[in-house]
Amino acid sequence: MMRWLDMAQFNLRLILKHRFRTSMVLLALIIGVSAVNLMIGLGEGARLFVLGEFSFLGKNTLIVMPGKKETTGGMPPITGASPRDLTLQDSEAIARLPAVKRMAPLVVGLAELSYQGRVRESIVVGTHADFQFIRQLSLRQGRFLPASELHLAQAIAVIGPTLKRELFGPEPALGRWLRAGDRRFRVIGVLESKGVALGMDFDEVMLVPVASAQTLFNQQGLFRVFAEVRAFGRVEATRAQVIQVIKARHDHEEDITVITQDAMLSAFNDILKTITLGVAGIAAISLLVAGVLIMNVMLISVSQRTAEIGLLQALGANQRVLLQLFLSEALILGLLGSVLGLLLSEVVLAVGRFYFPAMPLHSPLWAKVAALGVALTTALLFAYLPARRAARMEPVAALNEEKGV
Amino acid sequence: MKSSDLLKWVFATLNFGRARALLTAIGIAIGIAAVALLTSIGEGVRQYVLDEFAQFGTRIIAITPGKNITGGMGGLLGSVRPLSLADNEALSRLPFVESVVPVVQGTGEIEYAEKGRHVDIFGVNSDMPAAWKFAVAQGRFLPPIPAGNRSSPYVVIGHRVKQELFPNVSPIGQRVRIGGQRFRVIGVIEPKGDMLGYDLDDALYIAADLALAMFNRDGLMEIDVVFSPAIDSVTMAAKIKRELIKRHGREDFTLLTQDQMLSSLNSILSVLTLAVALLGSISLLVGAVGILTTLTTGVHERRSEIGLLRALGASRRQVLSLFLGEAVALSTFGGLCGIVLMLVVVAALDVLAPTFPLQLHLPFILAALALAMLIGLLAGLVPAYRAATLDPIAALRSE
Amino acid sequence: MSEKAPLVQLRAVDRHFLLGDQTVKALDQVTLDIHAGDYISVMGPSGSGKSTLLNILGLLDQPSGGEYVLDGQETSGMSEVQRAAYRQREIGFVFQAYHLIPRLSARANMELPLMLAGYPAKQRAERVEPLLQRLGLQARASHLPRQLSGGERQRVAIGRAMAMHPKMLLADEPTGNLDTRSGAEVVALLEELNRDGITLIVVTHDIELGKRAPRQIKMVDGKIAKDLILTAKAHPA
Repeated sequence: MMRWLDMAQFNLRLILKHRFRTSMVLLALIIGVSAVNLMIGLGEGARLFVLGEFSFLGKNTLIVMPGKKETTGGMPPITGASPRDLTLQDSEAIARLPAVKRMAPLVVGLAELSYQGRVRESIVVGTHADFQFIRQLSLRQGRFLPASELHLAQAIAVIGPTLKRELFGPEPALGRWLRAGDRRFRVIGVLESKGVALGMDFDEVMLVPVASAQTLFNQQGLFRVFAEVRAFGRVEATRAQVIQVIKARHDHEEDITVITQDAMLSAFNDILKTITLGVAGIAAISLLVAGVLIMNVMLISVSQRTAEIGLLQALGANQRVLLQLFLSEALILGLLGSVLGLLLSEVVLAVGRFYFPAMPLHSPLWAKVAALGVALTTALLFAYLPARRAARMEPVAALNEEKGV
Repeated sequence: MKSSDLLKWVFATLNFGRARALLTAIGIAIGIAAVALLTSIGEGVRQYVLDEFAQFGTRIIAITPGKNITGGMGGLLGSVRPLSLADNEALSRLPFVESVVPVVQGTGEIEYAEKGRHVDIFGVNSDMPAAWKFAVAQGRFLPPIPAGNRSSPYVVIGHRVKQELFPNVSPIGQRVRIGGQRFRVIGVIEPKGDMLGYDLDDALYIAADLALAMFNRDGLMEIDVVFSPAIDSVTMAAKIKRELIKRHGREDFTLLTQDQMLSSLNSILSVLTLAVALLGSISLLVGAVGILTTLTTGVHERRSEIGLLRALGASRRQVLSLFLGEAVALSTFGGLCGIVLMLVVVAALDVLAPTFPLQLHLPFILAALALAMLIGLLAGLVPAYRAATLDPIAALRSE
Repeated sequence: MSEKAPLVQLRAVDRHFLLGDQTVKALDQVTLDIHAGDYISVMGPSGSGKSTLLNILGLLDQPSGGEYVLDGQETSGMSEVQRAAYRQREIGFVFQAYHLIPRLSARANMELPLMLAGYPAKQRAERVEPLLQRLGLQARASHLPRQLSGGERQRVAIGRAMAMHPKMLLADEPTGNLDTRSGAEVVALLEELNRDGITLIVVTHDIELGKRAPRQIKMVDGKIAKDLILTAKAHPA
């Protein structure tokens, strides 16, 4: 029985001697392993980035929208148009529920904003003080919409930093009056920039009190109502309560949809996860090819080392030792290639993070374990046949094997 | 040396190292199969999606309110400058315009007898079936919206709505309530099925003016203009733009032509296909490493043979072409195996998942084969050059 | 015999190798004429330059200095392609290790130079068939090299060298790997070919073999130490 350290040494010497062959096998493994790890890292990064962009709400925030559809699984009724409006009174009823900590109604529209000849079309959001906490908006200057009565149509506005720059330039905006449609609003606050955003870009939005937006757009119905539940454990119960309350107010007709953001994004999340796995799977095909290459190289190695195998047999190596000898060679190659491949892909991911700091380009631990596992398994699996061939060689024939002619 | 002899020589050589050649070819085969399959799937998905969109026709321009909001989102939001039915009317009078459909969309409940169902409600006009290529299966579609008057409370329902609410009776002429208002069913749309997961049959259609009133909206979400083949979409779009600017005093709307959308969709999907194919090519790269390894090993093992060939008067170029031939033969064989492998997978998919969008294209398959040959050529270059530049004396001495 | 221009004219030919930082003179000012039809043995200890001389004569190697005129043509001006073409047409090689292609039959091995030269299969068969007969190999023609004895293998190699009807046959230790009997057969064969007109140059360690040649060259340290020409008893029967 050979000691494993001696076996490792024996193989290492062999690997170093056949430098070209070894480096080719390593190259193949490095390509495969790093491709798998890289693809999962990219996919996960993209998934977290996209989800982060769209998940602006906390886990315990309910989204209430007017309208309802029978067919499940499709899109929620995003247009928000329904025969019966979701009203401010409805939103107040939701806010009165004991489990609801914060509530923000939402009226959204497009309006042309102007200030001293500078004109820009922009999204105008009518909402309430709590919206700041539900959407986690921070202010650069001034203050947010006041927690005053919901029905009070004050002519005040909070604007996004891009709007501020485009309408006011370097001038201070606080206290100035800007025009939106046929109304005037006094700027009381400027939002902090949120950076790149895929969802609603608050850098370019004007926020006004909900009642002001209703008059501006001549629209009574709310686009959405956000309700933050006190505790995560009560989200489902509260969801039922919200539906009950609105149903009672709407002649016992259930004509709203209440979902959480997680539910809305879960289908999306699943798709992105599937894509990541699919992409990693495609990359893993290259590991299969690398496995075939390992098998090929091992076969060549066995045929070139026939005499050596005969000698080892003559010196008392049995089938098991020979099998272990060849399998451990594959194992060492597999380990070396995997580790180098992981290192390479981690470097690439790190470089990616450096250039795109917004993207969380990390491959999770399971990706590394999986890449390593698949690489080692293929290495061993494909090395088994050549190793067995070596182990089963007839000693005398092997020793007498004439090489070439 | 004659090329037939070269071929024979190459095949004899590969046949001699059969196991090795086979494994090398398998490596390439897996890569080629992956690339060919992935491009086929990509192409299939592209065709599928384009067909889904093209069913509405390509001579269609969508107008949405709002200028700087892309993707038609503007229609969902309230606006101080909405698109009106009057705009719709004005556009229908433009030359070359065949039909104009105003669109208001929302959800609401339709009730019949004891049953109710929450569905998508589309506010449109009489042009809709022609513009969207929807056919009426039963009854008739909505009449034109009368100028200055309210439309009659008629409704045309989708196939699914008919099945759910009128399983046993003919819906034509039945009175229903939609959003609390009374309507009469005058028609049923033929089944349209899903479009990208969106059930087109679980919907009903009423006149746009009634929908605006029902949803308490000022403006339309979208206007779809279908134009005659006698004009191109760019000119038509310009005409529409001029007309609307004349009416609104400014450009406060967004135009999206269907061929614009199709072409951007097309390019997105083509890029995706290419990306997936590139991803598959990683396997081909590994396969190329395999050819490089096998060939280099072969050159090393057959040094004395190369020396002999040179002594027998083979020129460097001849030795080069012998080894390159070996590489290309290996990769071509691998490519052929790959295509067979792909066809097997395609056939299996066809049986197991017949709806799977998969488009086999002969040019793609030939390109895959050409790619395999090219890879063989490239991977064989270094070892073949090494063989050709081997010093014949040293090569003969090595044994 | 010498009224015609010699086939081979070596004038002060040098062949230097760099071994580390030392220059090894494998050939040192070798001047030699060989006429068509000559039978020459080249002997000498290992490293005396015999094989280098053979390689230069066979256009496998090029002199570092001096002049090599082959068949009236100065060889230093020949391109690689021209040298390969001349080698193909006019020079046959026989090696100690035979250098047969293991995956080709005896016949295919003999056809190899014809194949490289682009002869169609029919012409190749016409050329090789009589050779197989002459070498007594008809029964072994479709055997692979590893199925042949040493003597048979060397006869296949000689057949291969003769396939193109060359002017000159260069044999490097042709009997080195053979037992006495097979060796004698091979030598008899080579001498027979020489009698038929081919120029035969045999490099050997074997004094018995060397002494059979009518002209015996002895090399020491890259120089021709002795050039013995036995005119009278040309070919012992």
